[in-house]
Amino acid sequence: MVEGKTYYPDYDVLDSIEEWDPVTADAVLKRLGPFPALKFLTADEEQKLRVITKHLVYDHRDEIFDWVIHFIDQRLDDEKGEYQRSPDAPPEKILIREGLQAIDKLAEKLYNEDFLSLEVEEQFEILASLQVGKAASIPEWSTIPQQDLFDKLLILTVAPYYSHPTIWSEIGYGGPAHPRGYYRIELGLADPWEAQRKDATDKEEENGE
Amino acid sequence: MENESCVEKESYVQHNCDHYEDHRYDDLEHRKYGDKEVDVCIVGMGAAGGVLIHELSKAGLEVVGIEAGPFWDPQTDFASDELHAYSLNWQDTRLSGGNDALKFGPNNSGRGVGGGTTHFTGVFYRFHESDFRVKSTDGVGEDWPISYQDLEPYYDKIENDIKVSGPKHFPWGPFNGPYPYPEREPISAWAQVFREGCEILGIRSSVPPLAILSAPFDGRPPCTNRGFCNEGCKPNAKFSTLIHHIPKAIQEGAEIITDSMVTRILVDDDGKVSGVEFNHDGSYYQQKAKVVIVSAFTVETPRLLLNSACSQYPDGLANSSGLVGKYIMPHSGHDVFAKFDQEMRLYKGTPVMACTQDFYETDPDNDFVRGYTLNAHGNRPVALAKILTADAGYWGKDLREIMLNFNFYAQITMVGEVLPQKENEVVLSEEKDEYGMPRPKITFNYCENDNKMIEHAVEKANQIFKARGGKPAFVAADTGHLLGGCRMGDDPSNSVVNGFCQSHDIPNLFICGASVFTTSGGANPTETIMAIAARTADYIADLGTKGEF
Repeated sequence: MVEGKTYYPDYDVLDSIEEWDPVTADAVLKRLGPFPALKFLTADEEQKLRVITKHLVYDHRDEIFDWVIHFIDQRLDDEKGEYQRSPDAPPEKILIREGLQAIDKLAEKLYNEDFLSLEVEEQFEILASLQVGKAASIPEWSTIPQQDLFDKLLILTVAPYYSHPTIWSEIGYGGPAHPRGYYRIELGLADPWEAQRKDATDKEEENGE
Repeated sequence: MENESCVEKESYVQHNCDHYEDHRYDDLEHRKYGDKEVDVCIVGMGAAGGVLIHELSKAGLEVVGIEAGPFWDPQTDFASDELHAYSLNWQDTRLSGGNDALKFGPNNSGRGVGGGTTHFTGVFYRFHESDFRVKSTDGVGEDWPISYQDLEPYYDKIENDIKVSGPKHFPWGPFNGPYPYPEREPISAWAQVFREGCEILGIRSSVPPLAILSAPFDGRPPCTNRGFCNEGCKPNAKFSTLIHHIPKAIQEGAEIITDSMVTRILVDDDGKVSGVEFNHDGSYYQQKAKVVIVSAFTVETPRLLLNSACSQYPDGLANSSGLVGKYIMPHSGHDVFAKFDQEMRLYKGTPVMACTQDFYETDPDNDFVRGYTLNAHGNRPVALAKILTADAGYWGKDLREIMLNFNFYAQITMVGEVLPQKENEVVLSEEKDEYGMPRPKITFNYCENDNKMIEHAVEKANQIFKARGGKPAFVAADTGHLLGGCRMGDDPSNSVVNGFCQSHDIPNLFICGASVFTTSGGANPTETIMAIAARTADYIADLGTKGEF
């Protein structure tokens, strides 16, 4: 399912880790695992969430989603706030927990199967219907607003996903640059350690299922 | 420096909650003033609170500042990483509704000493003369009780105090430079294409004035273009009140109490305020003061005033007009992206390195009044992915495709004036937070003028990109900053504070910060917040030295 091409097949942002300050290096390396046991999510929720988060960012490399799941689990386990919430939506712990149950209910109503048993295309269709708030009617939507659920799942996924060094390398992001900074910033210039563009390379083989 | 307690803590980062002179404590058992009444207590140690506490302690007053979040150490608390920086934002849940519900966090409010200045972009514009009299000149909104000329000496002072780096000639508004320090150069590729596009179209552009050093100052180095201004500046090249005003205030004798949430302003039998009540680690404390200043952002300021309702003031403090929490204004902050054949590398350089204010003033040819700034804007992967998903609706394959081309996009962000509407408000909800305080509920809708301006700005941004060979790619609805909620004015029935940020109802209660803005202007507001704070500090210091508290 991963079809993307990277311009930077030879680039690994972690090659520069010796140049990073220790606080930053520590924070980034923790994303490679190993991760502690889940605290908030049940095994069943974790399975479902893993498939959904993979679809949301169109990738399926499990080592990256081990980190994504760990991040979401930590976030839902702690008591920090969630910045903002629609007055109609429940707190995120409830939104995610009951939302995952509702997604199963929806799958059963539409296909007589639970979400994980559906074809990938069907799973995508369910997510797409949530995004626009047009999923088939089930009573759960009265307390779990569809779009709030979709947006929350998406935001909880992209934050850790685009914080993973493998993804940084793929998109050619220079990553942390302290203390050395950037010196060649004008058009056409790059510092020698930054990602150097190659002709776009098909990563399908590497990432594909 | 003493570190009297708790060396046994596991973390190698020592955070204290009480700071004064040579003392640092991680409990509140050794407070400098304790039960004693001080001259001034300031709630919130952000852009305004930092200036106020520095100026007032310099004037010889006894001042205590109370901050909800921690006293950061940039070396151990900040990282060159977007996810790590979440702790700098105000994460407490706010209920946010309306047709154009606001998002909170990195784009507006901070938690911890320095407040939003720890994660702002460093863009440091003055408002224009017209911003202070939009009702007189454009028939919309309300006039401020102060003029540009009232603030001018304070703009000068703030720029000099922190050594703003800016151009020799800034083309717009009443102040055209030169700035104390030279402008930042070179500029990043994505800012270059912005300036070149502007030039082709005959639009004037400039490097913006930035509170980011272009040369050493005060033991701090110039910027290294690391790019993480919004994540907390680790080299200390970017100004924040955390690294500038607050340490100097401590040297002048101020006490800073951190990790402490002010839950109530206290009122005495005469109807004057007498101090504040605050919560630290689950216990309640008080700080008595002759004057209380609330500098706690556009959301928490009205929330605290409303939550302090008492028998004398059943509708909340300073609220005889009924306007506490009303007329809040973000800036419309739509992000416009175009794709180029060459690499733009949005991650390099400080977040804003070029701008135009050619569309700032009312233009009779437009179908809207007032105007906006366009900032050429850098970005990093998490923030960009959030813009793409939450604001522009991308996910799945489309999101991945765009992100794989991350290095080929350039961004222009508008900072548009949003007209004040009474219905845009902060109120207390039924839901309580961990302190037992009602969570704030915020409602926001754009008006027709706002939407027409956004349309104009998006079109201009795309024209600039196209002129330079960029292909317009996507637009994300976004906002920046949040102002108002306790607006200043001369008429007590139509405003909350006077031109010196003194509440109309209670003479020893001041409100100073983003919340007193009468209108929003079309430019990043931090310098104006700080200039207002410096002017308020002069006024309060004058009262204090005359013994008129």
